Amino acid sequence: MTILTMIAKMSEGLGRTCAIFFLTLLFSLPLGMLVALLRMSKNRAVSTVTKVYISVLRGTPLMLQLLAVTYGPFYLFGLGVAREKLVPVIIAFALNYAAYFAEIYRGGIESIGRGQYEAAEVLGYSRYQCFLRIILPQVVKRILPSVTNEVVTLVKDTSMAFTVAYQEMFTIGKQIANSQTSFMPFVIAGVFYFLFNAAVAFVMGAFEKRLSYYR
Amino acid sequence: MMKKSLALLLALSLVLAASLALADTFKMGIDAEYPPFSYLDDNGEYAGFDVEMCKAVCEMNGWDLEIVPVNWDFKLNSLDSGEHDCVWSGMTILDSMKEAGYVLSFPYYDNTQVVLTKEGNGIATTADLAGKRVAVQLGTSGQELLENDQSALSATFEGGAAVTMENFNICGTELAAGSVDAVVIDLPVAQTLQKKFSGLVILDENLGSEQYGICFRSGDDALCAQVEEGIMKLVEDGTYLSLAEKYGLDPNVLCLLPKAE
Repeated sequence: MTILTMIAKMSEGLGRTCAIFFLTLLFSLPLGMLVALLRMSKNRAVSTVTKVYISVLRGTPLMLQLLAVTYGPFYLFGLGVAREKLVPVIIAFALNYAAYFAEIYRGGIESIGRGQYEAAEVLGYSRYQCFLRIILPQVVKRILPSVTNEVVTLVKDTSMAFTVAYQEMFTIGKQIANSQTSFMPFVIAGVFYFLFNAAVAFVMGAFEKRLSYYR
Repeated sequence: MMKKSLALLLALSLVLAASLALADTFKMGIDAEYPPFSYLDDNGEYAGFDVEMCKAVCEMNGWDLEIVPVNWDFKLNSLDSGEHDCVWSGMTILDSMKEAGYVLSFPYYDNTQVVLTKEGNGIATTADLAGKRVAVQLGTSGQELLENDQSALSATFEGGAAVTMENFNICGTELAAGSVDAVVIDLPVAQTLQKKFSGLVILDENLGSEQYGICFRSGDDALCAQVEEGIMKLVEDGTYLSLAEKYGLDPNVLCLLPKAE
């Protein structure tokens, strides 16, 4: 098998890798905000439950969560296993990443001084208006580097979907490595991930630049 | 007095360290999820046909056996890097390994690749696999078979290829749960899965014959010969056959036994 054939074969799985990446972001970014708000809730029960959610999702390996979401229903309740693995994969990834994003959001929101809320109130802003128009834009700006960190990690974590037999790019690479007794597919995978992340870093960098309006 | 005993202790520990270094350790690389050849038994110890054969060979040669569970996808990489001295775990001898320069022992077991399916899936022959979802463990000879000799068959599967899974346990789970329709698998492993999940059937068709052997690093011909010699002794004294019976392997596939007329 030539290197070009390997690249072509592995590219077939790249679409599935991208599917995990974009769908996870699509669900976990908003879900993370919801979790962050619940975590900061004044209701003790709500914030405690959310705290437990975050500590379980952050405290156990993603690989285990993938297995639990995919095969848990079968072993626990005798239910079936999804034929299309994208569904359990996205559920596990979104739940996991939402926990991380929630804590990043919370850090950002709590870093905004109390005085701004008071000032907004004096100026007649409602709580919603204050949060959406004054607090949130500042939060986004502050947390962007931390979010980029997580997004970059997500690119590399997509390879874990192999645990539940989702045939993404790295899985195909491993198949080729085995049948060809070659290390080349791993090199190719490394280059793929690096280029993917270079693109992510570029986009996030552009965002940061747009948001640096005080310079 | 204190000083003297300290010196003595030091000397003793030196001797101990030296003798430890002298005693040869044989590091056996296994797939720890490959019953009945190599797996964790109910007591949490590594067991299996291959593990016990290797134990016996090590005893014979006075080696300390260290069992190294490996990531099956990377077994040859970890062999190269010296994490273990051999791969001995129901491993099929492939031409590509020989071409890559690895030293391979003689075959010690004849294996066949079969199709494992579930009752009621409507699969009676391999022709019925058309349009079905078929799984295989990544890095096994079954995967290799479907990509090469049986590529025409695998092209008929749903999606035009088999789904690769991390281990046969997951293949069995998905088969039992109904999310895959069949698994291409080594016969003895299929038989083990049948004991674990009910309602699984093995098709009476041989997809491919192959042989298990032991893989050593290139240049380790002497080590390979020593292990082979040990195995032949186990064949002569009957250990080979009795271990096979212990692990439920069919004596007809023990290719080292003298062929009965």
